[in-house]
Amino acid sequence: MATQASFKGPVNTVFAAAAIGVGVSLAIVAVALFTRGHAAFNTTSQGPLSWGLPIVTYDYFLLASTGLAFVASLALAFGVRDFYPIARRCVWLALATAAAAVVALTLELGHPLRAFWAIPLSFQYLSPLFWKPFFIAAYGVLLLVVFNRMTRPGWDYAANRGLGVALFVAAVAVALNAGAVFGMMAMRPFWYGPLIPVYFLAESFLSGVAFAMLVTYLAYGLDPKAMPDKARALLTGAMPGIFAAALAVVIAMVGSRAVTGLWSNAEGLQAFDWMVGSPLFHLELWVGLVLPLVLMLRPGSRNQPSMQLAAAVLVLVALFIGRYEFVIGGQVVPLFKGSWVPGFVRYTPSLTEWMLLLLALSVAFAVYAFGEKRFDLSATPGEKR
Amino acid sequence: MAKWGMVIDLDKCTGCQACTTACAMENNRLPGENWQDVLFYHEGKYPSAKLMWFPRPCMHCEHPSCVDVCPTRATYKTEDGLVLIDWNKCIGCKYCMIACPYGVRFYVDERPLVEPDVRGVFPGAGRGMWSPPYRAPNDREDWVHGVGIQPSGVVSKCTFCYHKISKAPKGVADLDEDIPELKEYVPACVRMCPPKARYFGDLDNPASHVNKLIADKRGVRLLDQTGNKPQVYYLSGGAGASVPGSRAAKT
Repeated sequence: MATQASFKGPVNTVFAAAAIGVGVSLAIVAVALFTRGHAAFNTTSQGPLSWGLPIVTYDYFLLASTGLAFVASLALAFGVRDFYPIARRCVWLALATAAAAVVALTLELGHPLRAFWAIPLSFQYLSPLFWKPFFIAAYGVLLLVVFNRMTRPGWDYAANRGLGVALFVAAVAVALNAGAVFGMMAMRPFWYGPLIPVYFLAESFLSGVAFAMLVTYLAYGLDPKAMPDKARALLTGAMPGIFAAALAVVIAMVGSRAVTGLWSNAEGLQAFDWMVGSPLFHLELWVGLVLPLVLMLRPGSRNQPSMQLAAAVLVLVALFIGRYEFVIGGQVVPLFKGSWVPGFVRYTPSLTEWMLLLLALSVAFAVYAFGEKRFDLSATPGEKR
Repeated sequence: MAKWGMVIDLDKCTGCQACTTACAMENNRLPGENWQDVLFYHEGKYPSAKLMWFPRPCMHCEHPSCVDVCPTRATYKTEDGLVLIDWNKCIGCKYCMIACPYGVRFYVDERPLVEPDVRGVFPGAGRGMWSPPYRAPNDREDWVHGVGIQPSGVVSKCTFCYHKISKAPKGVADLDEDIPELKEYVPACVRMCPPKARYFGDLDNPASHVNKLIADKRGVRLLDQTGNKPQVYYLSGGAGASVPGSRAAKT
């Protein structure tokens, strides 16, 4: 097994910043929840707007995790050798982002501990939320098993293809299920649709590619010269192309969904007016998706580390905005609340909700940096560097 | 087994909110947590604007989407047609609130719907979220059926006054406050309605008064296109109270 060079990236800085982030945000969230309960959130039964920024955060990190698993699966399940150098890092970051998602959800639920027994014993197979914990548990276990196996001497991709395929299938199940939670809601036309799970799948893959690109640069101190040849070859070869293709698919989905929604006039689809009327949507579409696509298509910029890094960060921000618009947009049109509520439900996340986002982000990067320090995430089994 | 349902005659409803108040007192609801509500809205513009209103309890649907999405079966359908919540099983995921097309569910572990927050004025003793001064007897507390002062972190909703109707004599076709021996079993909103716009009875009993009203006055169900099939029917001849327009006002 090839091992990581004696590289000193900004991992210590990332770990320290993330640890401080965890400490500060956890303290604020814990104090708020212990003293005020979920009244510390700005969600409300009046409207209602029941799922706010914590659910946005949860879904964002969950889809980032499955997206990273998809990227790793290119090597683990589909045998694309180009992705060998980042597969291990992606698997670990998938674990880190899954942990962030679970933290966000745990703090959002009214009784998170009760969920451990109440969901499995309910056998309510009609609910996508019944299946979700099983899918996530299987996915988490497979991530751990795959990562553990990858650290063993003699690990070989080809010999463990079955495990890679199982991880890929579990990740697909989690992402599709996350989309089905919303896509099944026929009473909320902004969300409803059989293609919503596929939409989640595409966004998940894009976020996985963007995260993979970001952490690969972080791991090597933002310096391509510090990278092993194979990793550098990936970032100047297949990666920008796949990034651009994923961006094109997601832009097509976001654009066609917006146009279709604006044209249609079913009750509840006024949410598209709300969405497109917001500057955030245009920031997401033009700056966060179209600009990175241009950067990844232009020969002069697609292989530039600074451009790739900028594109990855922009896409990650855009996908978060998109997740926010999606989750909130399905709820902004009030249900039978008369004239005492506005045409659109007003919602601004509270400080506690923002701190919960910071907590999830910090957990993801703390776990990632821990892995970077503790394990050799750059190791490429069966490949000589 | 009865299939309890409600009929609301919109031609009779005056929008007085006696039903809302009776429900709040009977079920110890927080201010603003109106399991039963009368929604006021306006349609049209000056000089032809109209003030309208719409009484809205939980619809206790035949095919309730809130039940299907609940991952713990905390929300469930009883044999006699009620949709209830078991507070011992609710994990507070709020998916049922998302899935209910009628907006009749409440998660009260949140910002107060009406200021000041009375939970701070009458803090909860024991397991309940608060201790209202007009609290119903403790023996009415029945978490399995979502009756009483709810704990934090769970969703609550109209029970059709389960604590009353579940004790009604078996086989009765209607629970009518005008029948002396049955009046104690009538849901609070029905019993307190001054113009007698509400009727409560067994939808599975062809001889029930509610069934006759639905047939004779062409009862309609709210948002029937959702497929939830409410067990609350509305009668309307086009008077002031009516089903809201199908499209919300733009802002």
